[in-house]
Amino acid sequence: MWARATAGIVPGFFLSAAIVGLASWLLPGPWQSTLVLGGLAFFPVWVGVFCLGFLFRSGARAWLAYSLLAAAGLAGLALLRHLQWVQ
Amino acid sequence: MKLKSSTLRTFTALHTWVGLVAGFALFVAFYAGAITVFHHDLMVWQSPHAVEQPVGTLEDAQYLLDETLKRHPEARNWVGMLFPGEESAQPLAYWPDAQGRWHYATPDDLQGGAEPPSAALSELVNALHFSLGLPVAGLYLMGIVSLLYGVALVSGVVIHLPKLVEDLFALRPGRNLKRFWQDAHNVIGVLSLPMHVMFAATGALLCLATVVALALNPLIYGGKLAEAMPAALDTAPQMAAAGTPASPGGLAMWRARAQEEARKRGLDAFEPTYLKLTHAGDANALVEITGEVPRTLGSLGAVALNANTGEVVASQLPGHRDINHATLSIAYRLHFGEYGNAWVRWLYFLLGIGGAFLFFSGNLLWIESRRKRRQPEQGKPQVWMAKATVGFCIGACVAISTAFVAAQVLESHGAAWGMDTATGLNVACFGSWAACLAWAAVRPPIRAAIELLWAAAIVTALVPLAHGAMTGAWLWRSAAAGHTALFAIDAGALAMAAGFAWLAWLTGRRSRTGERNSVWALPAGI
Repeated sequence: MWARATAGIVPGFFLSAAIVGLASWLLPGPWQSTLVLGGLAFFPVWVGVFCLGFLFRSGARAWLAYSLLAAAGLAGLALLRHLQWVQ
Repeated sequence: MKLKSSTLRTFTALHTWVGLVAGFALFVAFYAGAITVFHHDLMVWQSPHAVEQPVGTLEDAQYLLDETLKRHPEARNWVGMLFPGEESAQPLAYWPDAQGRWHYATPDDLQGGAEPPSAALSELVNALHFSLGLPVAGLYLMGIVSLLYGVALVSGVVIHLPKLVEDLFALRPGRNLKRFWQDAHNVIGVLSLPMHVMFAATGALLCLATVVALALNPLIYGGKLAEAMPAALDTAPQMAAAGTPASPGGLAMWRARAQEEARKRGLDAFEPTYLKLTHAGDANALVEITGEVPRTLGSLGAVALNANTGEVVASQLPGHRDINHATLSIAYRLHFGEYGNAWVRWLYFLLGIGGAFLFFSGNLLWIESRRKRRQPEQGKPQVWMAKATVGFCIGACVAISTAFVAAQVLESHGAAWGMDTATGLNVACFGSWAACLAWAAVRPPIRAAIELLWAAAIVTALVPLAHGAMTGAWLWRSAAAGHTALFAIDAGALAMAAGFAWLAWLTGRRSRTGERNSVWALPAGI
């Protein structure tokens, strides 16, 4: 229980950030225009990610999956911004 | 819908634990929040003469603004002001000093003070709502509680999902008390779910926005959040002072210009409620007039003007604003129930009390489901959970009603006793709460429950009595004079007192006639 809960809290936080970040930058219009909506949506997204963490077969799997997804999401976002494919 | 039994078990455990951890704080947040819906009325109720005070004019407001800027040079950087009207009969000016402390002034108190007039009670109830009355850390604590509340909602829906429809309208009173509590808990939880989802999300945002913004800034916004924030939150652009003096326009001109701008956008009924003025007396002085447009959901809109010339610099009005301002306005109004008329506020009040019941009943279910049916002696954790629930939750009801009574007594006699109302209210509220907790700790839980419910009934019934005795505003006089807000608060307190008395009676009956092997049965020999 604890391993899966902490997976939702720690890498889950970064994964939620990546989800909100990708949505903010990939949606049409400048990223600044969805600041407040992104901030508001972040909390339900994080709660959802936290709860989904309990569907993993073990805490280690949850940590691994969330860490990889978060790293991929944040790296993808950084790359998109670096290449200026999103604004 | 069918779910795997292991999933159901996991989510049941999750629901139980986050509910227990966050339930106490949520009970207070909902009970105090239900009362906070009426915070403007509470200010009128607290002050002995507020209801007779005529609504101030624009000239009064102009006088207050001029005097504030003259007497308090620090207000020239940033000053806010409430227009006289529905929210506050008299205009109110507020500004931060160099240390960031807020000051409030009215036409009757131009020198200003650290507390807005007659707001001690509504401020206390509001502080209980958003921070349990704890300074600084309380806000973040409630933010975390909001997140746990979100988890409790998701897990609650998941475990309820398989039998959602068939259970929804099942409220089965009878011998099986646990099933009755479970039904009541489920029905209230599911029927008010949209409101709970909204509160969990907006509550987390209101408490944790700054912390999460700090964390998200480097992660997803490339460190550019600080420069993007003002444009997302304010209407007026950020501007430095020019250093050259200029003579500012007046309130009447600003009001007219803001209304003209709103009319241009097809909003005929824009009524200014408050303003923010920066760099007063400077060539770059800006004023942001925020007003209400009736019959819109995010009904607050703002027009930013050059304070000297009245030229429109920017506007964010319903129907003509960006996503940030629309989201902010709608989230704010949804959380505070400030759309629609009095019906919406009463609905929020009832949903708030219903929410408090949800968390209270959650604790009762935890105790009930761990009951040892074959022995009179119940487990220690169950007994202490019962004591804590009774002392903390019913204690909070006693404490808030005590603060109401104390507010009336202190408004009349506080000055003679040399006691400031805000301090006195804190002592009354937290003192009586601590006493309830101590009482619950030393008494058997069922005894404490009955006694504290009676205490809540008596103290709550004293609320209209104290109001009438101290100010002469007995509830029938308020009704006859058409002061509906005063009448509603006093009558509401009487109804709550009757509710507490009814619960005390029911609890007393359960202690005598209910199942013997329970923390809620009278211990033998008492």
